[in-house]
Amino acid sequence: MNYTPTVQTTAREAGAAILTPGGVCATLALDFARDAASGRTVLAASSQEPPLRVVRAFPLADGAALAHLHNVSGGLLGGDHLTLSVNAGAGASVQLTTTGATRIYRPRAGAAETTQANDIRVAEDALLEYLPDPLIPFAGARYAQRTSIHLAHGAGLFWWEIVAPGREARGEVFQYERLEMKTDLIANGRLIAAERLRLEPRNHALASLARLGPYHYWATFYICRVGLDAGTWLTTETHLREVATQLSRPGESLWGISTLVADGLVVRGVARRGRDVIAGLHAAWREAKLRLYGREAIPPRKVN
Amino acid sequence: MPADADTPQRAPFALGQDLADLRLLHLADSALPIGSLAHSFGLESLEAAGILQVSGLADFFRGYLEEAGLVEAVFCRAAFRLASTGPAQFSLDQWRGLNEQLAARKPARESRAASASMGHNFLLTVLALGEFPIVSEALAAAKRPPAVAIHHGAAFGLVSGALGFDEDRAVLAWLHQTIANMVSACQRLLPLGQTEAARILWNLKGTMIETAARSATCLLDDACGFMPLLEWGAMEHPALATRLFVS
Repeated sequence: MNYTPTVQTTAREAGAAILTPGGVCATLALDFARDAASGRTVLAASSQEPPLRVVRAFPLADGAALAHLHNVSGGLLGGDHLTLSVNAGAGASVQLTTTGATRIYRPRAGAAETTQANDIRVAEDALLEYLPDPLIPFAGARYAQRTSIHLAHGAGLFWWEIVAPGREARGEVFQYERLEMKTDLIANGRLIAAERLRLEPRNHALASLARLGPYHYWATFYICRVGLDAGTWLTTETHLREVATQLSRPGESLWGISTLVADGLVVRGVARRGRDVIAGLHAAWREAKLRLYGREAIPPRKVN
Repeated sequence: MPADADTPQRAPFALGQDLADLRLLHLADSALPIGSLAHSFGLESLEAAGILQVSGLADFFRGYLEEAGLVEAVFCRAAFRLASTGPAQFSLDQWRGLNEQLAARKPARESRAASASMGHNFLLTVLALGEFPIVSEALAAAKRPPAVAIHHGAAFGLVSGALGFDEDRAVLAWLHQTIANMVSACQRLLPLGQTEAARILWNLKGTMIETAARSATCLLDDACGFMPLLEWGAMEHPALATRLFVS
């Protein structure tokens, strides 16, 4: 039975960005295609509404296209309803990153929750690498994110997300009001991973051993290539577990890895410090890409 | 109260409350031969890493109930409601879909396999106790290609609905047996005595009731669970050199 997410992306009208009470409703739609003549991936079409912006796609040495996701307002404001729609066409290879951490600001009194909907489609034999900087929810932030990722046969995915505790440098740790993230990962119509989390630190202590314990940062990293058999994934899991074990330093960071229901792996990381999370994700990415694609992972160049 | 042997198997909705309660106690007992004692669901790794200690168990299980417990309770209820419509209305596609969704919520391979093994064993055990058409159909439907793993929480809800148990009592029993099994695993992993184990379980009943109540109105899509440390433990478990548990 083909799986259809029960919640669709944020409803909105077509056209220019819509101002809503206390926020903005805007979409960034990116359509990548593989140029048959050159074999390179290009940004074939885009629809951009402020504050979301992509300046251009940069060619990478392996033929992929790299695009930086900007939010020109500097972060997510209370009442913002933003949508990111990405389509990687057949055979395309796309790398997406952010220009910096995504800040989720404290909403004004009466402002609606900030929402972000991500609708991602990766066509046959395409590859999408989504490698953003951390999400930083400020004190009082209220944020709901909904992500649906559809992978066709042969499609590949490296998708990570990092959540920081807040603005640690000013002692702001787990002071946000609510953080909700819902992610569906669908391969060939089959639901292979579904994450549902809702963090309300004031009501449910994140320092509980049932949650983060002594760690402040956490990350999830999905690694997929649709169509590989279960044995290949088990072997890859075993190989990457060695990497995870080397990365883990109890009390500082822990890394775990597991095969999904089919077609991929998930890496979970928790850490006291943000830099350990980023280093761990890059290490797992390097190993996985080499193993699954026989190619080096190319860390995204930042434009600022 | 009629003797169990005198009660016809064919009329679940006509069962007396006393017999239903006894059957629920029976099916939620950790002695039911479905393999529950073989799994720690990641607790063994947490103990090996020195993360889980006796002093932190009550807080850990309270958090477990609020997170994973809620998710399992919501799926248990959903399966209950599917089955309680009766054989004519029972949707095999929804049953398969429910289990597929629950599988996708379980990122750690060993824990997912443990839940599937126990779910399958649970249905087989129930079918060895009597004839229950919905349970038979559910088992057959899951085997239909492409096969779908039956997860324990969904299987427990399905059987409870098919046998005419009270929905809230079934969910409470599910939560209770889940925590009882995990506390039992901790008794084998940690210096946790029987009296202290009993005290932990006793003091968690209020949280079980709260979790069951939250699950009554929670949609599947809204059932959220955040347990990264336990997930790490479950993912790391295959790497343990010496293991008491399968998961």
